[in-house]
Amino acid sequence: MSIQTNVAVIGGGPAGLAAAIAAAKQGAQVLLIEREARLGGILKQCVHDGFGVLRFGEKLAGPEYAQRFLNELRQTNIQILTQTFVDKIKPHPLGWKINLVTAQGMRQAFAKAVVFATGCRERTARQIGIHGTRPAGVLTAGSAQFFTNILGQLPGRRCVILGSGDIGMIMARRLTLEGAQVQGVYEARGTPSGLPRNVAQCLHDFNIPLHLRKTVTRCFGYPRLEAVEIASVDEHMQPIAGTEERVDCDALILSVGLIPENELLETLRVPIDPVTRGPVCDQYGMVEPGLFCCGNAAHVNDLVDYVSESGEIAGAAAASYTEQPEQQHAQITAGQGIMYAVPQRIALPAQEIPLYFRVKEELGKSRVVIRVGETVLAKKTYLALRPPEMERIMLDLSQTTLQEGDEITVEVQPL
Amino acid sequence: MDNITRINRSLLKQFGGRFCAIPQQKHLSLQGESDDWHAIVQAGRLAATLFKGEGGVVNDVRYTGAPAAPTRLPSVQDDTLAGQAPDVLVIGGGVIGCAIARELARYQLDVMLLEKECDVAMHASSRNDGMIHPGLDLKDKRTQKHHYNHRGNAMFKELCADLQVPFKRSGQYLCFPQPRWLLWVGKLRWGRHGIRSKFYNQKQLRRRLPHIHPALKCGMFFPAAGAVCPYSLTIAYAENAIENGARVFLNTAVLDMEVHESKITAVHTNRGTLRPKLVINAAGVFCEDIAAFAQDRFFSIHPRRGTNIILDTKFSKFMSRSASTLGTGGAEGYGKHTKGGGVIHTVHGNLLLGPNAVEVTDKEDFATHAQDLRTVFGHQAKTSEALSSAQGIAYFSGTRAATFEEDFVVRRGLYTQNIIHAAGMQSPGLTAAPAVAVDVAQWAADMLQAQPNEDFNPQRQGIVDAASLNNIARNTLIRQTPDYGIILCRCEQVSKGEILAAMRRPLPCDSIDGIKRRVRAGMGRCQGGFCCPLITQVIADELGISLDQVRKAGEGSELLCGEIKPDA
Amino acid sequence: MTNLICITCPIGCALQAELVDGKLSVTGHSCPRGEDFARAELTNPMRTLCSNVRTNNPACPLLPVRTQGEIPKAAMMDVMRLLAGVTVTQPLQCGDVITSLEPICDGNVIATCDFPF
Repeated sequence: MSIQTNVAVIGGGPAGLAAAIAAAKQGAQVLLIEREARLGGILKQCVHDGFGVLRFGEKLAGPEYAQRFLNELRQTNIQILTQTFVDKIKPHPLGWKINLVTAQGMRQAFAKAVVFATGCRERTARQIGIHGTRPAGVLTAGSAQFFTNILGQLPGRRCVILGSGDIGMIMARRLTLEGAQVQGVYEARGTPSGLPRNVAQCLHDFNIPLHLRKTVTRCFGYPRLEAVEIASVDEHMQPIAGTEERVDCDALILSVGLIPENELLETLRVPIDPVTRGPVCDQYGMVEPGLFCCGNAAHVNDLVDYVSESGEIAGAAAASYTEQPEQQHAQITAGQGIMYAVPQRIALPAQEIPLYFRVKEELGKSRVVIRVGETVLAKKTYLALRPPEMERIMLDLSQTTLQEGDEITVEVQPL
Repeated sequence: MDNITRINRSLLKQFGGRFCAIPQQKHLSLQGESDDWHAIVQAGRLAATLFKGEGGVVNDVRYTGAPAAPTRLPSVQDDTLAGQAPDVLVIGGGVIGCAIARELARYQLDVMLLEKECDVAMHASSRNDGMIHPGLDLKDKRTQKHHYNHRGNAMFKELCADLQVPFKRSGQYLCFPQPRWLLWVGKLRWGRHGIRSKFYNQKQLRRRLPHIHPALKCGMFFPAAGAVCPYSLTIAYAENAIENGARVFLNTAVLDMEVHESKITAVHTNRGTLRPKLVINAAGVFCEDIAAFAQDRFFSIHPRRGTNIILDTKFSKFMSRSASTLGTGGAEGYGKHTKGGGVIHTVHGNLLLGPNAVEVTDKEDFATHAQDLRTVFGHQAKTSEALSSAQGIAYFSGTRAATFEEDFVVRRGLYTQNIIHAAGMQSPGLTAAPAVAVDVAQWAADMLQAQPNEDFNPQRQGIVDAASLNNIARNTLIRQTPDYGIILCRCEQVSKGEILAAMRRPLPCDSIDGIKRRVRAGMGRCQGGFCCPLITQVIADELGISLDQVRKAGEGSELLCGEIKPDA
Repeated sequence: MTNLICITCPIGCALQAELVDGKLSVTGHSCPRGEDFARAELTNPMRTLCSNVRTNNPACPLLPVRTQGEIPKAAMMDVMRLLAGVTVTQPLQCGDVITSLEPICDGNVIATCDFPF
């Protein structure tokens, strides 16, 4: 029962759906592999709205955004395997051999090109150094969201939320609407990690306090959480002794960051960018010949619209992928004030490409300059720049002659 | 000068008049009053080193510091076990108790095991590093630690094959910052004790362990060292015991005993009063309390916390074998009474760092502390510079049941006739467990004049690990049981089939943590973020309960608070 | 002057708005939608409410829903109570109306994915 295809897409969330559809539109035979029973990825549990403003000009709920792609998927002849887990992937004379675990048995797929759209996972309590007991009632915002929105169960009645990421703030609102009391959202940084509109509509609207420069350091209670210890943090985000206070709660919900999930891709020993924690890609999402990565697996995005865009680019590129002798690349470097810029390299020759970046620290009015040597390729002025917000610049390289090894630098200058 | 006078002189000299030693029939009672727990422990140790008697040192000091939390007891109260009169009653479902129950099943004996927690291996048996020690500590060959370590180590290969428990005899490096000819002396001494070792200079060491700290100049390799999954072993022992006729009761705590003419006549529990012929005390940190109920208290426990850190499997490449460092000076918080832990290669392919050693008063406080983590990382960084705190995915602490003598108490009762203690367990308790169990079972059989059980089957079928099968075997398995093809825990690749299998074993398992210990679901890098809700559903379906009744571990640990939209 | 954060799009402009005798003055917005938002916010703040409703299908026990347009912010908890009493029994497509919001306010609640999924 082996499957031969042009393009295999691993992951049926927003990036994978967009990649599969884009590849099919190019006329490729496409296999879409999803480990859950339903397509849609994390959008299924994101019942809140705000998705698709850039892409569709409307504020859609998560499942609604996914539905648009699912409807489009129905118009294609993409082969879909749900509840199918990719166990291993290896190079093969036909391209790539993918070992699949399904409820019907083991299967193999052979694909000329593979798109990794494996999304991201949440950081856990242990990774951020929360100590004390290990009771029931400590969970990540994503798990809390699954329990609430998919299973219809409240994870707590008096909740403390650590981290002001978007999911954390959205869960604060969601739990409040469902009758839970949210004691507060605590954020170790000096500014909220999520979008300003979520501070407004998720916290301010419901009088949920946002405590900045504070973190949770300990859990109390066993077998169920009874309280957490909150401490102020210094500029290095380390707890300050003597500032501890105890806040009673029966659930601690963590929204403390997302990590691209590339464990499968890493088995192929591709280089991983230590900052994005995604693979080093070119403008097509290509990691190495025939391997593509897109969406939150490449780097964590804050808007699904960008996830879909990167999926489409990678899917289309995978469909038209043919082995090429010695592809030449220019490098993109995060310069002054830039945390990261993707893609990390550019396959030559290049046309117009979207370049995504985040700044290192909060800035007022500033100018972002993209240059190669002394030649300025693009510049853009911003009224404000914040690390939690990913920025996108369309970079037109059709008029620029680039050579192997050229270094394109992205930098930001305060004005 | 007699023994007691000497002890009291020493106590006076070191602690002023705070403590005094009062001889009892066969043991020594340490008395006094103090709010300084460390001083009490030091005084106890001092007395123990000097005391020459059949029993040990018992802590009767009134401790006036912060009172320890009361022992956690199950809330269930019924008469399920009232009137039971087993031949042997094993108290404690740790690795020691479960191993003893299984070894007792080799005889024609009615064996019952009581465990106060919701599962076996809830305390030290799941809160240790899983190291099977080669027995390097030759300081005192007369200790029970030394004796049982050696006998136990030799048993692991066959035992783990019988019980289908993952075990790797992968060896251990002991590394030193200076080239030392002394090591050759050590090698000779170890050799005389049958401990094989091999000396490596820095070049050879670096070839074998490329990421070893450059400051380490030489090392010894001990092929007898190994690693086992400690809770898997405990669970396997319990299951094999049950398969051979022993009965295990969870959520059952011993509350008191009646003793007449040096014999235990009744054991009171929260589930009724039992009248066993023989009691075996394998109650871990609570073994002193059990001994007190039995009027056979001749040793004391001072709990000692150790913290371990587990790294993501992908960093295992930094250390192909377990390695530890000696001679870099004791790090603060490690203390004298740990071998300094090490970088342990677990059977599951993770690196584990630790443990340290901190004296504590609370036997069941498994909270972790930032300071402990810093200590462990600080110490293990001396073994490899490649290790960093960012690689950690989990950490945990446990408490060792240390006596003042710092040795096991594996023996028949001192004052009470029908009790055997398997107490005072600390490292290398896991390594020693198989040998301790054989001896204790033998003594019990002798005392009760029991005949061998001809039907005893030492072999246990474990839960199949589908991901470790080759494609053909895995395909066949899935074709038979499609649930093995539905992966629920992505990080550790655990299928619904394995989770259901874990719930359908001889020993009940109905919680998220119970499943995690049996099939590793939720142990990976996402720490259950993705699979916990899915497993919650499987548990609810399998048990026919609502989602909000599913527990993380024991009672009171329900994960959820009920349905949303309660108004409808 | 009231400080507001515009929730119309992900940019989240920080607005300063004032309404004097029906005349609105706004600064800080980067598009005309910011003015509309500020006016509504100072007179009758409106929000989209997203939640879910029960179904009679055990395979998909909850269906995600939202209000078709915005509803008065003050009506959100009333709408939550209304939704708690709704059970979906018929197949639906994404966007189909599940219930009217009468008498709480104008508008409807729509499904945000196909049912059954």
